[in-house]
Amino acid sequence: MLTSELRNNVLVVHVTEKRVDASKAPLFKDEMTRCIDDGHHQLVLDLSGVDFVDSSGLGAIVSCLKRLGPRGSLAVAGAKGAVSRLFTLTRMDKVFALHDTVDAAVEQLSA
Amino acid sequence: MAPSISLLIDSDLDKVAHIARAVRGVCTGLLAAEEADAVELSVVEAINNVIKHGYHGQPGQDVQVIVGLHPDRVVIEIVDHAPPMQAGLIEQASEDLFSFDATNLDDVPEGGMGLALIRMNMDEVEYSAGSGENRLRMVKRVEAPAG
Repeated sequence: MLTSELRNNVLVVHVTEKRVDASKAPLFKDEMTRCIDDGHHQLVLDLSGVDFVDSSGLGAIVSCLKRLGPRGSLAVAGAKGAVSRLFTLTRMDKVFALHDTVDAAVEQLSA
Repeated sequence: MAPSISLLIDSDLDKVAHIARAVRGVCTGLLAAEEADAVELSVVEAINNVIKHGYHGQPGQDVQVIVGLHPDRVVIEIVDHAPPMQAGLIEQASEDLFSFDATNLDDVPEGGMGLALIRMNMDEVEYSAGSGENRLRMVKRVEAPAG
């Protein structure tokens, strides 16, 4: 459910599913964890193709941030509509750096 | 009598997205996009809770969703036959869960957010259990009723 590419030493992870919900959260977490454990510690999660995230999906994203811990950064790019509102409603917009575009997120992380 | 639609799924997390889209479709025209988002999220969280905690992930059990369309509100009922939820959980769930210290990752919740999100997204939430049946009733008021 994820594809990734390296840009300026930042791993950009694109979510290819439209929904990150309880049925997809375990796979999402496994694939993200593999990226982190492979040594990628500057990551941008591209949610521009996602139109629905539930609390299980959000919890999986938080769990990836916790796994990364102080050794790196996980920024979120392209969250819109209901997905963006979920981050705001749960105050996760204070936990994650949210960027409108992947380019802006990469620029911030590689600066 | 207000029109009402009943949908039934098997207790399988893979099927929740279908019923969520169906409920959203039924409410289209009555609810604004943000209200429909709130209803869709609440329906998904409620059904996920039933499947994960009520039926402990066991497939082949029933989850019914009844959508009542009133001119000024949408009433959603989630009906299941799992063991009932612990008393008081709905009342205790609140937005306080999200008053965490954002600078301390240990303080940020990874789970247990479903009921709080339902209460934050719906105008009324009531839970009743009895005779082997559980019913979660959620009301979303229409901000700008048609007509």
